[in-house]
Amino acid sequence: MVNEERVILMTRMASYEAGEGKKNIKIGDYFRADYLSKQLLKSLIFSTISFVIGLVLYVLYNFDFLLENVYKIDLLALGKKMLTGYIVLVVVYGLITYIVYAFRYRNARKNLKTYYGNLKKLSSMYSEGR
Amino acid sequence: MTTLLELKEYIKRFYSKYEVYVTPALKTIMALVMLMMINGSLGFMSRLNNFALVLIVALMCSFLPTGFMIVFGALYILGHMYALAMEAAIVVGCVFLILLLLYFSFSPKDALVVVLLPICFVLKIPYIIPIAVGLLLTPASIASVACGTVVYFIVHVVKESSTSIGSMEAAEIMARIRLVIDNLLNNKEMVVTIVAFSVTVIVVYIIRRLAIVKAWTIAAIAGGIVNAVVLLVGDLAADIDISIIGVILGTIVSVLLAKVVEFFAFNLDYSRTEKVQFEDDEYYYYVKAVPKITVSTPARTVKRINTRHSSGRGGSSRQRVQDYYPEEENYDYFGENEVEDYTDSDPR
Repeated sequence: MVNEERVILMTRMASYEAGEGKKNIKIGDYFRADYLSKQLLKSLIFSTISFVIGLVLYVLYNFDFLLENVYKIDLLALGKKMLTGYIVLVVVYGLITYIVYAFRYRNARKNLKTYYGNLKKLSSMYSEGR
Repeated sequence: MTTLLELKEYIKRFYSKYEVYVTPALKTIMALVMLMMINGSLGFMSRLNNFALVLIVALMCSFLPTGFMIVFGALYILGHMYALAMEAAIVVGCVFLILLLLYFSFSPKDALVVVLLPICFVLKIPYIIPIAVGLLLTPASIASVACGTVVYFIVHVVKESSTSIGSMEAAEIMARIRLVIDNLLNNKEMVVTIVAFSVTVIVVYIIRRLAIVKAWTIAAIAGGIVNAVVLLVGDLAADIDISIIGVILGTIVSVLLAKVVEFFAFNLDYSRTEKVQFEDDEYYYYVKAVPKITVSTPARTVKRINTRHSSGRGGSSRQRVQDYYPEEENYDYFGENEVEDYTDSDPR
């Protein structure tokens, strides 16, 4: 026999899963440390790529100057400057990423509370129905 | 006022019924506007200016995910740049790549913001976007606002210097690259605008989340003021030329538009017919959930004549439930107007 109460609960949960909950469930399935480390890794890759592109543009911009003076340039100092620039970019970008995604994780978990509660209610409905 | 509310209800119902058709139509129109503006501003590659191609791309955008509008827009811009000067295309392409990475990490769903912002810049009403973003989205969408601003300024800058770029010889590759990058980096107006918009988004977002009455209105007004102030301060500090009257007028228009946004967006939780499927051990369930819409049709004016003809039901000036809740004018609370035949009152 079809238990109407169960069906109503399951329908609401299914519509949550299909709509608003899709995003939240995807986030909520991770442990906090795993989720944040995944996002930080992505941010590291992105900031490295952006730095490389920025470097390319910088080289293109100063091409004539570099060509003429390549033997005069203090490569070590230049390299250190580049490195500090890179580290600063990575750190700032990573900080922003961490804050944004920690926030999102907390919100997702909060939203999922009702959903998880409904899951428990549903499973108790099933166990008492038997 | 009630006519506005009725209009809002009507639009909500219309949208929830015909959403399948309305959304692609809107996407097509938006893509069309964007492409025509790009062609209008740049228009260096005649092949891209062909209206048939524009129409085809716009129609493609109707069924593709919204993010593709940005892709097509970017391709169009790059195409025009390439026709102008290969170096411009390279530089702009690199900038686009960096923007793409920034956009993708934080607000990938806000393709609409990136497309709308340059359009609003051209229409001279750019300030509505940061206010609307603060009202409707989260501060993470600052990334898409920044991207939209940069896109507009790139196009603007290249358009302005297109004559000087075109007049340089094709062999002077580096000089041309340097010219384009120079114009971009030294564009203090762009930086000031980005800063102003970011601050506006944050301010609007914080205020609208406060638990006070009319939070949205206060947020919109505060956002407009903050935006104008930061822009003017930046104007002084960086010594650029922003027309003060333009800023003030633009801000006023944007705040009014924000009120419109608030009117439509507030409580936009229309329910729609949903089809869900799930299973358990015994059955497969295919469920169609149809929302019960509380329709507030035009309230029939009921003239209350305080005479003795009020059939002795406890006084001629008895307050009805409907007097307190005019939307429920048609709901028959106490069975006063029951009819035997129910064929008319079935809402479906």
